[in-house]
Amino acid sequence: MGLKKYRGIERKQARWGFIFVVPSMLFFSLFSFYPIINAIYTSFFDKRALSKAPPKFLGLGNYIRLFDPARAANSLSFYNSLRATLVFTLGTFIPLLILSLMIAVFISNLSSNRTKKFLQISYYCPAILSSVVAATIWMIIFDPRGLGNQWINALLGTPGVDQGWLVDPVMEQVSTMVIYFWKYIGYFVILFITGLASIPPTIYEAATIDGASKWQVFWRITLPLLKPTVVLVSVMAMLQCLKTFSTQYMLYSNGAPRAPINVITFNIYVTGIQQQYLGRASAMSVVLFIMMLLLTLLQFKTTKSENVDY
Amino acid sequence: MQIERKITLPKIGMSLVLLAMLFFTLMPIVFMISASFMTSRQILRMPFSWIPEGFAWENFAKAIQGNDQTYIFVRNISNSLIVSTTVAVTTVLIASLTGYGLAKFRFRGRTTIFMMIMATMMIPFEAIMIPLYMVIMVLRIQNTYVGLILPFLVSAFGVFQMKQYLTTFPTEFIDAARVDGMGEFGIYLRIVLPNCKPVIATLAILSFRSQWDNLLWPLLVSQSDKMKTIPQYISNFALERSTDEGAMMAAALLASIPMFLLFMSLTKYFIGGSAVYESRKG
Repeated sequence: MGLKKYRGIERKQARWGFIFVVPSMLFFSLFSFYPIINAIYTSFFDKRALSKAPPKFLGLGNYIRLFDPARAANSLSFYNSLRATLVFTLGTFIPLLILSLMIAVFISNLSSNRTKKFLQISYYCPAILSSVVAATIWMIIFDPRGLGNQWINALLGTPGVDQGWLVDPVMEQVSTMVIYFWKYIGYFVILFITGLASIPPTIYEAATIDGASKWQVFWRITLPLLKPTVVLVSVMAMLQCLKTFSTQYMLYSNGAPRAPINVITFNIYVTGIQQQYLGRASAMSVVLFIMMLLLTLLQFKTTKSENVDY
Repeated sequence: MQIERKITLPKIGMSLVLLAMLFFTLMPIVFMISASFMTSRQILRMPFSWIPEGFAWENFAKAIQGNDQTYIFVRNISNSLIVSTTVAVTTVLIASLTGYGLAKFRFRGRTTIFMMIMATMMIPFEAIMIPLYMVIMVLRIQNTYVGLILPFLVSAFGVFQMKQYLTTFPTEFIDAARVDGMGEFGIYLRIVLPNCKPVIATLAILSFRSQWDNLLWPLLVSQSDKMKTIPQYISNFALERSTDEGAMMAAALLASIPMFLLFMSLTKYFIGGSAVYESRKG
């Protein structure tokens, strides 16, 4: 009898637990699962936003069009978007990863806690500005008469040369990378500092007693133990870079050429919202989704197999 | 430990790198503040001088008046505040409720539900914005707060963070409240919520910031000037005032003040909060 009553309470509680979860389940079904299924479905149709006629079924038509080699030469093709996204992602995430790791190690080697804190907060400052504000500031720095040219010319000893930060196709891509790097460096430094702090100091003491130099300690101890953080930060940085939009949007709408910075998200926006080709934009969305899904799964796999025990 | 204090070549190198990075991260911010008090001619003068000659207050007047003297800036920054605050509140409420349900109750399908919510973290917003845009069109909620807020009511990351935090919450407190005859919802509201302030602060800041920074979704939803948000305002202003750099910097500075204030008062939650997974909308 007592057991029965107990189970009754348990069942009642279980019901409450379920009720607490319902709002989230509704939300994620409606605003995550339904849209991604809808995106996959729409990507098989020639759907336009303003047409009243039922959309024509194209099968893989939209995807074939995206990857049509005949269109590769077109400067605004999806191939170009893949290239722009890849260049931006690699060009941003590799410097981000290396420099944030380096700086995190340097900061952890400092002796004064106040300096440590001050540096972390200062490096983090750009991250609190919105992407739009960040782009606006840098657009003025990159003006032909702006600080960017003045300093580069002072460094290279080439007075009066315009580097074409926002005009030249290569420099334009560099500019987007600089802006993004600037905004996120502090964030990744802090991630690494957290990772470094989780390595027990006894390991370092043991190594120092054994006569290891700082350089050896970094390569033989810090880096291997930091591997999970490195993987986490790499994937997060790559995922962030794949989603970049605001910087490219700002530069383009202020007159920079579109082709070099026509990243996938920007292409989805222009194709789907401005040109109203919803089917084609959905196909691009699905490609982006698959890319990010593969990256995330890769991260899960590596972090699971490489668990470090101290 | 006198040996440690020795100044060596690697130490100088390290300090130089740290100083260079300090300069790189802070220079543009100082530039924005300094330039917002300058006329365009001063900003683009070669060589650039960092100290403004007098204060060009008219930059701020222009930034607030907007392109056609409509003071739409006030409306747009209020829109951003309303949207970001609402999203922060709903994210905290729904995520804590779900996290509590998942952490402290055993019911069938619990693990499945948690895994499914986690799976949505792999769906980037950028990949579902076109279908969401279609939903907004069907529901006819373009240019409304509902349209701006609806897709961001809660985040999978928030649920995850809340669940992790509440798993370590002592069950004895909850049981004691039950014995005292408190209802389940009352326990959530009066026992659980007040005891997870740090995680609530972190989550609220992350959600607030992601909406404050959001340009893409408002671009899709808000076409009328009255319903635009502050990133859209800055973007339009920069476009239409492209030769008035001083006013542009003033607008950028004004738009950053709320985040600066938040950062200065709650620094530890910013720094702590970034040391975990950022939400998929981040």
